[in-house]
Amino acid sequence: MKGTNLGEFEELVLLTVASLGTEAYAVSVKSSIAEHANRIVNISAIHSSLYRLEDKGFLTSEFGGATSKRGGKQKRYFRITNTGLVALQQSKDLKQQLWKTIPQLSFQLV
Amino acid sequence: MSKTQKDIKPPRIGIYLLRKIYDRKIYDEISGDLQEIFLERVETKNRLLASSQYLLDVLLSARNYNLRRKKTYHTSSTAMIKNYLKITLRTIAKNKVYSALNILGLSLGIAAFIFILQYVSYENSYDKFHSNHRNLYRVMFKTYQDGQLRINCAAAVPRVGSFMKEKMPEVIDFARAYPLSGVMKKDDIKFREERIHIADPALIQIFDYPLLHGDSKTALNEPNQVVIAEEIARKYFGRTEVVGEPIIFNSWLDLDLIITGVAANVPDNSHFKFDFLISYETLNNFTRNDDGSVPSEESWGWYDYNTYVLLKEGANPQEFDKKFDQILVEERGEIFEESGRIQKFPLQPITDIHLYSNLLQESEPEEQGDGQAVLFLSIVAFFILIIAWINYINLSTARSVERAKEVGVRKTMGAYRKQLVNQFLTEALVINFISLVLGLVIVILGIRYFNQLTGSVLSINFLLNANFWLIAIGVFLAGSTLSGLYPAFVLSSFKPSSVLKGKFSGNHTGIILRKGLVVFQFAASVSLIAGTIIVSQQLSHMKNVKLGFNLANTLVIRGPQVFGADSLFASTFEAFRNDLLRNSEIESVTTSSNVPGNEIFWTNGIKRDEESADRRRTIYIAGVDYEYFPTYDIELLAGRNYGKSFSTDTGAVILNNAAVRFLDYESPEDAINKKVTFWGQPKTIVGVVDDYKQMSAKSEVAPIVFPLVPDASNFFTLKLKTNNFQEAFSAAQTSYDRFFPGNPFDYFVLDSFFNRLYDNEQQFSSVFTLFAAFAIVVACLGLFGLSSFSALQRTKEIGIRKALGAKMSGIMFILTKEFLQLILIANLIAWPVIYLIMDGWLNNFATRISIGITVFLFAGLLVVVIAILTVGYKTFVTAKSNPIHALRYE
Repeated sequence: MKGTNLGEFEELVLLTVASLGTEAYAVSVKSSIAEHANRIVNISAIHSSLYRLEDKGFLTSEFGGATSKRGGKQKRYFRITNTGLVALQQSKDLKQQLWKTIPQLSFQLV
Repeated sequence: MSKTQKDIKPPRIGIYLLRKIYDRKIYDEISGDLQEIFLERVETKNRLLASSQYLLDVLLSARNYNLRRKKTYHTSSTAMIKNYLKITLRTIAKNKVYSALNILGLSLGIAAFIFILQYVSYENSYDKFHSNHRNLYRVMFKTYQDGQLRINCAAAVPRVGSFMKEKMPEVIDFARAYPLSGVMKKDDIKFREERIHIADPALIQIFDYPLLHGDSKTALNEPNQVVIAEEIARKYFGRTEVVGEPIIFNSWLDLDLIITGVAANVPDNSHFKFDFLISYETLNNFTRNDDGSVPSEESWGWYDYNTYVLLKEGANPQEFDKKFDQILVEERGEIFEESGRIQKFPLQPITDIHLYSNLLQESEPEEQGDGQAVLFLSIVAFFILIIAWINYINLSTARSVERAKEVGVRKTMGAYRKQLVNQFLTEALVINFISLVLGLVIVILGIRYFNQLTGSVLSINFLLNANFWLIAIGVFLAGSTLSGLYPAFVLSSFKPSSVLKGKFSGNHTGIILRKGLVVFQFAASVSLIAGTIIVSQQLSHMKNVKLGFNLANTLVIRGPQVFGADSLFASTFEAFRNDLLRNSEIESVTTSSNVPGNEIFWTNGIKRDEESADRRRTIYIAGVDYEYFPTYDIELLAGRNYGKSFSTDTGAVILNNAAVRFLDYESPEDAINKKVTFWGQPKTIVGVVDDYKQMSAKSEVAPIVFPLVPDASNFFTLKLKTNNFQEAFSAAQTSYDRFFPGNPFDYFVLDSFFNRLYDNEQQFSSVFTLFAAFAIVVACLGLFGLSSFSALQRTKEIGIRKALGAKMSGIMFILTKEFLQLILIANLIAWPVIYLIMDGWLNNFATRISIGITVFLFAGLLVVVIAILTVGYKTFVTAKSNPIHALRYE
């Protein structure tokens, strides 16, 4: 499977779920991304990422409380799995390594 | 708060769509998410915005259609399509012969259909390239005398166009074109040219004859201007930018012309063709009288002027005709009364000219098409296609026995009927598709031969035409459905229990249908064969009909257009004739204003001497010299030929028999020595000649008067003793160049010149023959397949018969009999139909054959023989086979 690589948006969603702890479901992920990353994302994109990340094993989910605001429909709460954390870690490490290799010179140019 | 929240719901259509998009298992949670967002938006913004954003969210969710969805129906149907295709290809590969018969028949049918479609659409495309073609009309000219139509002519009189424009507000503009021929000269390059017209400036404005060089607005405004076609510019100058160059024209008028425009070559599908357009003012200058009148603008009598009018958008030609008739009577009613002749100028749409017009003085008479023939061919095209489809239906239902078991097994394994229908429809689609491709290949490879055979100018450019592909796809889909649907439903209807028990017996209605279709196929084939025979019989009848003159071994030279003084012509011609007669190959020489096969445009009034002036009738004139009738071997019915010994012959005329009837004399003998008034002078009829076919056997013989015009210099006819044209030709050329220097030696062999009048029928006949052959081949392919199956099905029966002592001949008879019965019925249906249709067609001809029973017997017999040969091979093999194999096959 091409599975373990994370796309940019997937990584963002994964990080957001991790940061939200036990309160991560589609709507809260959407508003958190809007708040922190300043990105307005359509809910369908969030859905597609969340379910796909769960299929890949990076997330796990369980049903949570239904509110009248949701027309009595339950929420699906997502939590990050160990595999998900490892994947995030790997992605971060890879980036850090690459950052270290950038020559000093170019920093000054920026 | 909670109450309002319950009331406020997202738009229902959105909920509905969402339910369709998401799988049942995740729909709840997701719809909850969307609803939560929706309510938040309602609170922060307003309801309308929230609703529309909700809808947007739903629409964007469409991308998640596959999310968590168990791949059930969707993928299974693609898998089934793959399966259908696989089974189809296996079936095709398994029954190679029948598949090949099917595909071959269908592709031949499709190829024939495309050929005819191209031919027909080309014939229908005439004059449609003009952007104004919907509103352009030709003004016809009709003269009635005593309530009878006397002149029915394509060319009108000079005045009518301008008169229409003055009186009728619907007319935007008019244009006249007056045809003539003559010699064009540029330095020492000179040719005789036929397609010269004297034309109004509007001609290149209302029609789409674009100028490559020069300005269409001014190119024909002044006298002595000429617009030439591109190929003519190349012919005389070797280049196309020749505006401002001079060119000299010699005819009955001699002109120094200045080229003011070079026009693109006239497309082939134009009824009106020109190489030169000379400005109309040139003619006006020539005809202008001392009193200032200009007959070429004002005359109501000369009918040589093709006149076209452009009407305003939406004008109705019938109402126009009615209105104009009245206006014309107001203007010219008195003259009509005086002369006893009424003129009418009805309009004819230019797009009708090529196919539906057969008038005097058509612009391109040899090229005139035949709308009826084109309609025939369209019908034939559909017949061939239907025959091919019938083949498919027949072969597939005939094979139902073989496939019944397959259907039974499939159904037992749980196949739905719909899937079986799909299976058989897929087979039809695939076979039709392969046939379409093959048919196109046949067309692309064969179009050259088709053009050669039929003399048409089709190209494969139609492949770039969007309309063509629409039709092709339409034919493909219609064919697949029509030919696939019936077998699909028959085959899928079998009950597995009975079929698998082997209880299957031939479906009765299926057999009747199959037989009905075979009858139809063969009725169509017999009709086409009989039609072909009748067309070709009529053609050879027309060619062999007594023409009344001898066209063998005759060479015609066009007379000189450049000649110093007319008064010298007679003596020069005499010297020329004597010079030629010294050659032992040349029997006689004559000069005349017309030759057979050349349309007569020269007319004038004639009446019996005792009649009043208003009885003057228009008659055709062909000027001849003393030798004309003997040279052409034209029989004298009464009286005598002109003779040099009769000094009074300048006051004599010779008529043809049609003219005798035209002038209401009782018989040729009765007419002799009677006096007529012709060219304003009394003349004595000294001879009456037979009605020789001046213009092919297609048309009636017109009344012609043959005045003695020894210096009629249009055509010199050389009658040869043998068909050694080569020698006579070189002798004639040398002598012609000596006596008539400065003139191009322009000649033709009368035989081929005359027979070009039959080109159209010849072409029709070859097209018809070709497609009759197509139809028969296709029908035979079907019959071959069908008879093979029939033989296969009856293997056991034949085995038993043979075991009981039946002879081979007897078995072959049994097998052939059922097809012969069908063919007999087909014949009985086809005969009356074809008789009625062909009889109608033959009525178009002045001399026609009558349809004999032999044609039908022959066509029927031919089909029977072909069918026996087709069926014979398989029945022979079956009948010869050893009964042991037949009986052991279970």
